[in-house]
Amino acid sequence: MIENNKSYGNIFLNGILNDNPIFRLALSMCPAVGISTNVMNGLLMGIAVLFVQFCSSLTISLVKNFIHPRIRIPTYTLTIATWVTVTDLVLAAFFPVAYKSLGIFVRLIVVFCFITMRLDVFARKNPVFPSLVDAVGMGFGFMLGMMAIGGVREIMGMGTLLGYDVLGFRPLLFFVLPCSGFFVVGFMMAIFNYTEIVYNRRKREMRSVA
Amino acid sequence: MKEIVKITIGLTLTCLIAAGIMGGVFVITAKAKKHNEYLNFKENMLALLGYNQTKPAPDTLQLCTVYRYLIYQGDKTSLGYMLPVKSKDAKDILYQFIRVNLQGQFVDKFDIDIETAQTNDQNMREKAIAAVLPKDVNQLIFADRFIVASNKDKRLAYLLPGKSPGFKTNINFMLALNSKYSIVGLQILEHQEDPGLGDEIEQEYFKNQFTGKDSERLKTLKVIKEPLPDEQLKFLERAKWAKDAYSEKDIETLQKKYQDKDICAITGATISSVAVVNGVKNVVTKFVYRVKILENIISKQKITVAF
Repeated sequence: MIENNKSYGNIFLNGILNDNPIFRLALSMCPAVGISTNVMNGLLMGIAVLFVQFCSSLTISLVKNFIHPRIRIPTYTLTIATWVTVTDLVLAAFFPVAYKSLGIFVRLIVVFCFITMRLDVFARKNPVFPSLVDAVGMGFGFMLGMMAIGGVREIMGMGTLLGYDVLGFRPLLFFVLPCSGFFVVGFMMAIFNYTEIVYNRRKREMRSVA
Repeated sequence: MKEIVKITIGLTLTCLIAAGIMGGVFVITAKAKKHNEYLNFKENMLALLGYNQTKPAPDTLQLCTVYRYLIYQGDKTSLGYMLPVKSKDAKDILYQFIRVNLQGQFVDKFDIDIETAQTNDQNMREKAIAAVLPKDVNQLIFADRFIVASNKDKRLAYLLPGKSPGFKTNINFMLALNSKYSIVGLQILEHQEDPGLGDEIEQEYFKNQFTGKDSERLKTLKVIKEPLPDEQLKFLERAKWAKDAYSEKDIETLQKKYQDKDICAITGATISSVAVVNGVKNVVTKFVYRVKILENIISKQKITVAF
């Protein structure tokens, strides 16, 4: 899986570029399609997911030697559920404005498959610090992906960005509806993959020249 | 066999630890959460009265809450109202508890010893009331409450919180009635309806349809499955899209034109629309009946209420 000589920077960038949860792994599409109607929502959701992923990875990599291998999935789910409940209560108590706009979506973080997958693939087999870096990388990848989708949908749908009126008119209200989420995610996934193909081809050409 | 025991112990321990962490965080954040809910409630009340960040509420605005209780004494049932009254020198607010029997006649009244800050807590209220009631009262049950907003001795509005079973769970809302008991505003406080469908009850084009309807019209109000005419839709949403497009006279004429129209349901959310309409009808008809009795008693017994 991950060798010991991979630097922490590589692990971090892995979560954003190579293994981006939305664009490469295509996991947890539900929030990417449903909540990312504007940049602010995407940012808040990304921060919540980052926090949950960070704490879950920390917990699991600390107790990885005590988990019986046959009950690891229920254990992951229990850990994630605990941290999501903690996030929900803390948001409701100390950040009421954010809680009002996120509403019921914070509780849906429990079913994000990429958090469970990351715990099983990475946190169970690696020491604490690499797991944390990987968790932060994954969380950032998710947050940046959500913000990118949210940005496109907000500009094209409402003509605003982070609440500030940029265009002055509303180009296509279609972009605020849920169905446009599928279109936008699909197109961005295509652009993401195409850039990667072109980048790899360039790198190969440069290496063969050198 | 040993494996199963190990697995069971492992799972039980994990569940207990998880429960412990969640319980601990809940206890720590419960007070702040309640405070936030109270602030949210107060903000909704002020928004219904027309005050927001650009137009703050005046200092002389007074919000008095009247609590209604059901009293079971032997086999007799009666209603009790906890009212804020002005003290003799009109500077402080004291609290009185009056009892009304089911036919609407005044039974008796008591002075309660409670501080204004403690009236928000249900337990303290009931303790203070139970201390003055006669000893053979079996049960004292809280029924509902309403809030009277007044500014410098002039009543602005009655604020009625209420709830109604919606498509998923209860829809909590708050109504504002003016002194002639016609609706001035409706605010949806809390609901769990579907986003995009039942969620639309929070939109202006649904809530503003209730403005101006009085208690007589509400008795026969129903939901019709027709689209809103364009003119009415623009008028209802004027605060969002066209703040300065209507003059005072235009607003009056359009308001009068659509005053008696039934409520147009939200497309794809008939149950949620009907739930809100039924809840509003329920709350207003019951309130108007009760408040008339209460006003009668207050004037006959010459109780100097603080509103």
